[in-house]
Amino acid sequence: MALNPYDSPRGRLRSRVETTRRQFLLLIGAVGALGATLFGGIELLKFMFPAATLESPPEFKTTFTLDDLTGNNSLKVNVLSDTANRVTVVLDSTGVYAVYLVCTHLGCTPNYVSDVTSGTGVDDKSPLVDQHYKAEGSAISTRNGWACPCHGSRYYIDSTNFYGPAPRPMDWVDIQLAPDKHFVVNRGVITVYRQAGDNAIPKWRLDPKSGKTNGQTVGV
Amino acid sequence: MSARPTEGNPLRAFASQVWGSIFRHGLPTTDKVAARTALTNFFLHIHPVRVKKSAIRVSYTLCLGGLSFFLFILLTISGLFLMFYYIPSVDQAYQNIKDLQFVATFGLVIRNLHRWAAHGMVITVWLHMARVFYQGAYKPPREFNWAIGTFLLLITLLLSFSGYLLPWDQLAVWAITVGTNMAKYAPIAGPYTRYLLLGGRNVGQGALIRFYVLHVVALPLIGFILMVIHFWRVRKDGFTGGL
Repeated sequence: MALNPYDSPRGRLRSRVETTRRQFLLLIGAVGALGATLFGGIELLKFMFPAATLESPPEFKTTFTLDDLTGNNSLKVNVLSDTANRVTVVLDSTGVYAVYLVCTHLGCTPNYVSDVTSGTGVDDKSPLVDQHYKAEGSAISTRNGWACPCHGSRYYIDSTNFYGPAPRPMDWVDIQLAPDKHFVVNRGVITVYRQAGDNAIPKWRLDPKSGKTNGQTVGV
Repeated sequence: MSARPTEGNPLRAFASQVWGSIFRHGLPTTDKVAARTALTNFFLHIHPVRVKKSAIRVSYTLCLGGLSFFLFILLTISGLFLMFYYIPSVDQAYQNIKDLQFVATFGLVIRNLHRWAAHGMVITVWLHMARVFYQGAYKPPREFNWAIGTFLLLITLLLSFSGYLLPWDQLAVWAITVGTNMAKYAPIAGPYTRYLLLGGRNVGQGALIRFYVLHVVALPLIGFILMVIHFWRVRKDGFTGGL
């Protein structure tokens, strides 16, 4: 019968001052198990955060061209949207800009409506409303803009919020003119980021004639 | 009445042995045998050996916890049948639901059973919680079970929320967009939580498969484990008044 050499009065005394093999193995085992659990846990948590998402890249080319947008220069069509990519391109008398159609309330895609003030009690003729439509000129008679289907937020055409729970205007994103007259929109580059209550009309524009941007970004 | 080989008839002897191996006790004749029958049978062991007559008055509180559990069973079974047709892919999910409704025989019934039972379970779980609260049944010694119950309520709501995305219609996609954007407003952890839930930045394929796994495996499993503890505590703590 094998006896534990430490299981005697002398042995117990010895085991107090020195580490026995059993204690050492227990310690190594415990540290190893704890370390493996920690490492495994952290790596599993990282596993749950995808390193690549396979979503559509932020930069994309629009299916429509500048000529589609100008509607053969009659200025009747000056808003074209790519709802799948959640971007709309607006052309007014001062140039072209792109709005990222993500409602600032809870992220739905607002729809284009030709009469955005309808039913909100906002006076179409008020100068507060009018300032947002000066650049549109006389081509559009109604106050067009964006209405969110989820909770009813409304935005003027330049993405300034004026009704509903949306806390701030929608963002503008970078837009360039490609040599083949299509637009290249980069949703990863925000050109106009306005805080709540900032109703100033952003000056950032892409000049459709020269194909250059004026670089007047806001809040970025 | 244990299994006893019947002489002369091997078929009856076999049948008697099978019966006796499943039902180890005959019909209880005395209180003692009745108690032993309940105790030694796996399917009956969840029942208390003795119950006061006043404790099983169903009309008093309508046995809302039992109703919730019944709906959970119904949801598990109907959900299992739905899984034979449903593929969690953004290209196929919506069409699968339409197939379930218009092509699969009895599919419309199964789907609606699942849908209405889901609505019903949210209602009964809330009412059960209200009943327990108004009756003061959360007080010691039942405070632990009340805590388990709050987690079960959370699991029920999360199951309801995750199942909402699976039909992959407009309502589903935007409801989850809105819901996960609400999660984003939480300080510090918010954006990470949203990314974790969606497996991306938008509601897409990544979100669909994650919600599917949560809905059919993770949440029901956690719910089942919590329910086992919940019922075990009910057995140990006894009833407060009615069911």
